[in-house]
Amino acid sequence: MLEPLVSMRGVTKFIYGGDGRPLRNTDVKILEDVDFDLFPGEVHVLVGENGAGKSTLMRILGGIIPPDRGELKIAGARVNLADARDAREKGVAFIHQELNLCANLDVAHNIFLGREPRRRGLKDAGEMYRRSAELLKALSADLDPRLPVARLSTAQQQLVEIAKAMSFRSRVVIMDEPTASLTKREIDVLFDLIRRMRAEGIGIVYISHRFEEILTIGDRFTVLRDGRLVGTRPIQSFEPSSVIWMMAGRSIDEMYPRTHAVEPEPVLELRGLRLAAHTPPIDLVVRRGEVVGLGGLVGSGRTELAKSVFGARRFHGGEVRYLGRKTNGWSPARLIRAGMAYLSEDRKTEGLIPPMSIRENLSLASLRSVAKLGFLSRDKEERQAAKLIQQLSIAARSSEQLVSTLSGGNQQKCVLGKWLCTAPRLLMLDEPTRGIDVGAKAQIHKLIDQIAGAGVGILMISSELPELIGISDRVYVMREGGVAAELEAGPELTQERVVACMV
Amino acid sequence: MSAPVTENVQSGGQGEGGEPSVQAAAAGKGRAWIASGGLLNLVGRNVALFIFLALVILASLFVENFAALDNAEVILKQSAIPAIAVIGMTMVLMTGGIDLSLGYVVGLASIVSGIMANTWFWPAPAVLASILVLGLALGLCNGLITQFMRVPAFIATLGTGYVLYGLAQIVSQGSIINRLPRNFLAIGRTPMFGLPSAVFLALAVAVVFHVLISRTIFGRRLKAFGFGARAAALSGVPAAWINVSVYAFCSTLAALSGLLFTVRVNAAQPNMGGGAFTFEVVTAAIVGGTSLFGGVGSVANSILGVLSIKIIENCINLLGVSYHLYLAVQGAIILLAIILGNLTNRRA
Repeated sequence: MLEPLVSMRGVTKFIYGGDGRPLRNTDVKILEDVDFDLFPGEVHVLVGENGAGKSTLMRILGGIIPPDRGELKIAGARVNLADARDAREKGVAFIHQELNLCANLDVAHNIFLGREPRRRGLKDAGEMYRRSAELLKALSADLDPRLPVARLSTAQQQLVEIAKAMSFRSRVVIMDEPTASLTKREIDVLFDLIRRMRAEGIGIVYISHRFEEILTIGDRFTVLRDGRLVGTRPIQSFEPSSVIWMMAGRSIDEMYPRTHAVEPEPVLELRGLRLAAHTPPIDLVVRRGEVVGLGGLVGSGRTELAKSVFGARRFHGGEVRYLGRKTNGWSPARLIRAGMAYLSEDRKTEGLIPPMSIRENLSLASLRSVAKLGFLSRDKEERQAAKLIQQLSIAARSSEQLVSTLSGGNQQKCVLGKWLCTAPRLLMLDEPTRGIDVGAKAQIHKLIDQIAGAGVGILMISSELPELIGISDRVYVMREGGVAAELEAGPELTQERVVACMV
Repeated sequence: MSAPVTENVQSGGQGEGGEPSVQAAAAGKGRAWIASGGLLNLVGRNVALFIFLALVILASLFVENFAALDNAEVILKQSAIPAIAVIGMTMVLMTGGIDLSLGYVVGLASIVSGIMANTWFWPAPAVLASILVLGLALGLCNGLITQFMRVPAFIATLGTGYVLYGLAQIVSQGSIINRLPRNFLAIGRTPMFGLPSAVFLALAVAVVFHVLISRTIFGRRLKAFGFGARAAALSGVPAAWINVSVYAFCSTLAALSGLLFTVRVNAAQPNMGGGAFTFEVVTAAIVGGTSLFGGVGSVANSILGVLSIKIIENCINLLGVSYHLYLAVQGAIILLAIILGNLTNRRA
């Protein structure tokens, strides 16, 4: 057996709190005890949902962040990478999804940035262009090293990044979703290049969400879920539905509360809504007191759908009817006043204002209810905060604590509390339990049930199948910007059925 | 004292011992609190006040003629006008923007008010109202350009500032208007309790805006927008409106400053204010603890900032050092404030 180029053992990374210290005591970690091997001449595909830990694992390998625990071996030798430069010198090249090139410099200057060949202390431009041309030729890239990078296409820029990696004689190349903005033809060229690198014994880590590509180019694949290793298999055993199962499926080991009852009047109706010019029209309905699940893979259009309804995104035709009125073109502010709420999957930049207190975050979407003639009543605001902290059991010293210092679960309860203050009629939840600990998860599930019980319509996006199936009265499964299936709760609604509709 | 006050409640409470029986415990707690860096935190939350007090004490000890009633009067008179201007700048800085046209609005307002009062014989209230409307209109331009044309505030206001500077020169035809009518001068010169009315006007404006920023829905939304524009917008904060309104407020208050300046020196001139005044106002806001990155700002603290830098200017005068040292000190203060801010952020 060959010796692995890279061997990672027991790699763990904690979540960091607002104070910059790791939170060791929660049971949520960004990465927990992950093992990962990369052999010479293989394309090792890394798959997982957003937030599963793929990027973190690669950032550790790329020297960008250090692991909190675990060991990393490169070519059999144990290493502690100081920074990205150190990693590069040890033969690890990281090609980021957003390419890191200086647009104003030419190709050769980018390849040799910071280590231009010198002669008697001065830059030796001739040598630099000569070596760049050689590198590009070795990649059979028809590219003039004197061309400014700003004039190159994304695919060509990627070539420059690869040439740069080759110039370091990298043995390990990490590619983070390299095909995200390439055309079909450019992808073919890239794959040729990857095969050539593979033939030379270079190990490639390939992060992607696109299953066809993974099957075309991969040799082995590793699935991560919630920061843990689910498994590493040869590509021959790659089967889309089973991989989705590995990414999203969990054994149902908890009871989901279900005390709410669905009423007939619709709260939200979508008629022929198109998320983009080329996606199919969507019809969807959410009724009073109903929890409607929205399943699908990353990039299937779930978040886009919620944001379109919430007026935070343009869409291409169709009709949004909310409480019987057409609300196309309404602003989020107007929709919030009408009782619509959207809990974003991005808690830190779209859900909360981290440097403000719990009290201020809770009242932000409903300031009018704690004010008179535009003047805020500190009293009312404090009473409201105290009530919600108790009702949602937010663990905090006082309502004046900054939300940036709270744990993920408590932050999420704050966002939920903010929307409860607006007396919502429709509550859209985007991954309401992502990245929070088990206890807080169960509490949020219970809250969702209670909120629905009060007659609120709920549209819940979730990548966690047991959650999606356990709480929802009905589930829409999205695929490629459209609704692929609508499934009623009951014996028919199983994880297998949902997965089958996703692909 | 809008934002920090919320946290002061905690720290203030620990200093005062209530009943005798609790006092011993409170004293022990107090010592522990000082040891744990509580004192540092208290200073940290009231930087503007501590800088002001430190300057007053140092100047009283080391600068001859500083600690005199008439000197205090001088400082107050000199602070009144920048105190009005700093309020608007604080609001703009709270959004994460900046208004570099402020000083040029002052110049334009000065020459236009002189023409209205002296050439057109408009009554004082009409001049005052027109100048405020002029400021509002200029501010709306700044706001609309930054918000809807997507021009960064720094560039947009630098551009409009120079446009205004040029306009002011054209309007004035290169001359200064002296000997303004008495009823116009009365706006800022009427003596009240031994001080000119401009000081009380500034105080009144400050109180109104302090309440606006610290006690109203508008103020809370401004703070939220400054800290996180995206989250604020998705929570129903009318982000565009807030962003435009701060520039409108800023230029309106700058125009009022220009008018009061004109009254004070009894001359309308297009060169009044300018870049130096803008810079002074930004320095004052920063000394008052306003963040250049948005979210943090308070009217009361910014005015303490004005008083602080005016004390520095006053001391430089009293010590007979070149006025140009004052300019250098301002530059150093801004750099120092930003470096310190970065250091503390890194530690956090």
